[in-house]
Amino acid sequence: MLLADFGTTYCKILDTEQDAAPRILPSRELPPDFRADLATGHNARHRSKQALNELIALARGGRRLVREESFVLLDCGSRDLKFVRFAKGRVADMGWNTECGASMGFTVELLAAYYHLDYATMRVPQGGFSVTCGVLGMSQIFDAVVAGASEEDAVACFVRGIARNAWRFAGNPDRLHLSGGLCDNPLFLACLPCEVQPLGRFVLLEGLKECLPDDPSSLQ
Amino acid sequence: MPERVGIVGVPPLEIIARLNREGAEIVDLDEPQVQESLGRTATLVPQVYCAILRTVVLNALHLHLDRVFVDVGPGKCNGALHIADTLADLLSVPILCTENRDHRPFGFPLCTTAMPLVDRFVRITKSVQSAAPHEARPPCKALCGFWGVPPRDFSVLKPFPPQTHVFGWTRCMENKTPADLDLERHCDPHLPTVFFTQSFCAKSALAWRLGRQHPQALVIDCDVSPSNSARAKIEAFLALSGVPLADDHASG
Repeated sequence: MLLADFGTTYCKILDTEQDAAPRILPSRELPPDFRADLATGHNARHRSKQALNELIALARGGRRLVREESFVLLDCGSRDLKFVRFAKGRVADMGWNTECGASMGFTVELLAAYYHLDYATMRVPQGGFSVTCGVLGMSQIFDAVVAGASEEDAVACFVRGIARNAWRFAGNPDRLHLSGGLCDNPLFLACLPCEVQPLGRFVLLEGLKECLPDDPSSLQ
Repeated sequence: MPERVGIVGVPPLEIIARLNREGAEIVDLDEPQVQESLGRTATLVPQVYCAILRTVVLNALHLHLDRVFVDVGPGKCNGALHIADTLADLLSVPILCTENRDHRPFGFPLCTTAMPLVDRFVRITKSVQSAAPHEARPPCKALCGFWGVPPRDFSVLKPFPPQTHVFGWTRCMENKTPADLDLERHCDPHLPTVFFTQSFCAKSALAWRLGRQHPQALVIDCDVSPSNSARAKIEAFLALSGVPLADDHASG
């Protein structure tokens, strides 16, 4: 069965019968006729036989991967944030921010490409920008550079700002489990003001595995 | 020719009863009555403002009304008080402000019976136009709760199963006691509950407070229509709480 997490900029794909591990493909390189059996993500309805709500996929994936009764799971995507909080094994709270203040992975990746930065070698800034809006946050980078800051330091302040936003959006937890591509960004991880357990990019695929039908032909 | 009377909020029963006796046609201005863009109100009301009150102004711009009753005060909101002034500027008919403090309970059978949620909201909002007692209906065992005002766009209600109990100001509305804050505060901590407000509504503070105290709550606000993420949050909250979605809503 073909499972897919159709992210805005990257697709995570798993053929449960052939792949040992999921594949990652830039969304722009996905063939136009590609269809999954069961999928989640922004394009899931158009590209799959059955689509699963992203928050449900996240929650079910979290339950599968985290052996705890109470925890917070935050997914930082290309352009949005999602979180689910479990308390005593039950979903107690959740949220999904698709607004400008959620400015996330895509922006972080664009900045690294434009300024030729490596997030693995960047210092964690002491302070950061207040990024209530992605566009205004970018302006703060430009302003800081004009004021004499290095491009690296200015971008680091931006990343710290969105990391703090993400943490606050998840309810200021002391500890959180992180999902999504930013798990691979050491600067972002270091800017989160709490204990972080990175779970990687395939949490939503794990959630899809929880929803596999007994009879694959039931998918239409 | 019967008089055509607009209402905003829930005017006192005495006024509704009088309008019923006079055979007046009552038009609920809180609900969309015309197929026009809310953008048409942009020169009269801030765009960052309650979508229901913007709808009131939009309706008033396009409907021929003989009188308008605007309920203001604890049974509605200060926003309506100020919109009453806007209506007075716009229209050459009497704009009559009321403060509904009715406390005789009519009951809320629709809030607790089993029926598609959209249908119940249509009936509850329609019931404001009548002073007649409610038809008795058997209560059902609730699977989840919806707390809040009738939304500007009822499509937000579609994922909820028929066994959803309704709380908040909608229950006050059916009970014909719109200023009963104790009833408005009431919710069931044993039911997964969605606390809903219109964006930019003062009631959002109450929704947040009740939602924080509730062990299984989703607090959500919508402006004109629910965004995809708002719909997804509701569907996910219900599904992950073990509540079956309405028949035409898959878990995706």
